[in-house]
Amino acid sequence: MNAVLSIARTTLGEAIRRRVLLVILLIALLLLVIAPGMNGLTARQSQTVLLSLILGVLQLSSAVIAIVLTVYMIPNEVERRTIYTILSKPVLRWQFLLGKYLGAVSALGLMIMLMTGTMIAVFAAFQGPNVETLASLARVAMMYFVQMCLLAAVAIFFSTFVQPVVNFFLSGGVYLVGTVFGSLFATIAESQQLPQLVRLAAQLVMLIVPNFGQYNVQNSVINSGAQIVGEGIYYTNLAVYGIVYISILLLGAMLIFDRREV
Amino acid sequence: MSLAIETIDLVKTYKHRGGASNTVVDNLNLQVESGEIFGFLGPNGAGKTTTIKMLLGIIGQTSGVANVLGREAGDIEIHKRISYLPEKPYYYEYMSGLELVIFYASLFGIRDNDRCKELLRRVNLANDMNRPLSTYSKGMQQRVGLAQSLINNPELLFLDEPTGGLDPIAHIEIRDLILQFREEGKTVFISSHELSDVERICDRVAIINKGQLVAQGRLTDLLAGGRVEVTAEGVSDAVSDSLRHENRIVSFKDGRLILDAPDSDDLNGMIDALRNGGAQVVSVIPRRKRLEDLFIEAVAEDDTAKGRQRGRMTDGNSDGTKSAEVEEVKTGEGDPS
Ligand SMILES: Nc1ncnc2c1ncn2[C@@H]1O[C@H](COP(=O)(O)OP(=O)(O)O)[C@@H](O)[C@H]1O
Ligand SMILES: [Mg+2]
Repeated sequence: MNAVLSIARTTLGEAIRRRVLLVILLIALLLLVIAPGMNGLTARQSQTVLLSLILGVLQLSSAVIAIVLTVYMIPNEVERRTIYTILSKPVLRWQFLLGKYLGAVSALGLMIMLMTGTMIAVFAAFQGPNVETLASLARVAMMYFVQMCLLAAVAIFFSTFVQPVVNFFLSGGVYLVGTVFGSLFATIAESQQLPQLVRLAAQLVMLIVPNFGQYNVQNSVINSGAQIVGEGIYYTNLAVYGIVYISILLLGAMLIFDRREV
Repeated sequence: MSLAIETIDLVKTYKHRGGASNTVVDNLNLQVESGEIFGFLGPNGAGKTTTIKMLLGIIGQTSGVANVLGREAGDIEIHKRISYLPEKPYYYEYMSGLELVIFYASLFGIRDNDRCKELLRRVNLANDMNRPLSTYSKGMQQRVGLAQSLINNPELLFLDEPTGGLDPIAHIEIRDLILQFREEGKTVFISSHELSDVERICDRVAIINKGQLVAQGRLTDLLAGGRVEVTAEGVSDAVSDSLRHENRIVSFKDGRLILDAPDSDDLNGMIDALRNGGAQVVSVIPRRKRLEDLFIEAVAEDDTAKGRQRGRMTDGNSDGTKSAEVEEVKTGEGDPS
């Protein structure tokens, strides 16, 4: 466990110094800060618009950071041969992979925390410190974090057998299918007009691709009317779903990585 | 005699897409004794790094046996007793030298910052251990790599091209450190294509070319067969004639004699004869065979042998040249000198 944590800490240290990530983070922070400038709406409308805008920025930049952070993680270690010094120590491959994943997730957590903090401060400054709304913003950010941990697990799984650039589009594609195109696939799977085969294929995609969409809980905040029934249980289920899915992906990644020539 | 490393018919074949395959390490048989500095020599692409990776268990062999410290290569227990310095290493640049060594120590579960500092002092990085690695020169990076590789007080060190790309001063620093390792009873396995340092520090060497062993043995044996050149003045014709021998090359003009003899020849006898005959010995120059010569010979012979093999594929006796050569080296190895 010692080794896993050391590798995680090193990975975190490296990740928070990666220039690409810092640039993405900086752009996101900038967008969050200037978001309230888009005014000219009624107070009620402007709150709705502002909320969807800043939450959109948070989610999109978190997703980009999650993917960019993880797709190069293992390939870089091989290219720079740092992996050889580590694996020549009493470190097993699964420990290495787990350490890398935990490091990535901590870096993600840190960056999402920074963005969320900025977002909440900006919102409070322009719409007044409404404790309830601020708390639910934090809750949405938490769910985004779980979503991004799942996305990072997808990317690290792919990184054990595909090249970074391919992985970028693959993981990005999986994320899109699991979020925005989720309902499209659901419609196809349900549609009676379409051939059986197409419906089956859509069902299969829905079964394999993680359900990222369920973590998009922003509507409950944006439209203050929309309430989630049994909120506590819903969030717990989401967390459990995430942990189970992440475990399966990491286990798969470990099995592949263990057999791979590095 | 206990063996720190032993490979038996070790083979690594890479399969390429489309069915082609490339045998990078070909039936390699190495024996490295405990406590020796062993040079693993070969031109670029000979298969040195691949062999080391197999010995570390980072990649698997296609066939054959690789034993390290009496166990199968890759055994995690063995990893506690060995260490590895990769070729052209790169470290997490944001770290300082000290942080890097602390990181590698933690992979062993060692939490002893004083020991880490001590190791850095040992490689002469006392004043630079808190600077980020991105500001280190190549030689300093290599030294921090050596400090890192000592953290578990290893019995066996694998150093892949440890002096590659270093300036002469950095070369010497690394070489001196390696010599200290031997004093401490460690076994050191060094791969290199630069022969000059290896020549001075290795007890035994193996030379590989295109994945095949072309020579293995004690350096003194492999380098035997050098010559010595004696120059004298005021030599009489009679003395000059008395020194002629079928193994010697004598050039004699106006009383000046240059005698080129095998170093196994009776040097004292020759000098006595010259001095007793009233001659003045001007110089005695040993012309030892250099490792370079041996290396070039071995690699060239191997290549021509292969060429011949290819040309004589059908005559069924194509292996003769090469195995005889290896045999010759093997007999030399047992010979104490
Ligand atoms: N993963 C790999 N796949 C295919 N060929 C490889 C691989 N790794 C090394 N090789 C080939 O193996 C040969 C030996 O490489 P290497 O062991 O690095 O040589 P050396 O360290 O002696 O310079 C080279 O021709 C190299 O191209
Ligand atoms: Mg090499």
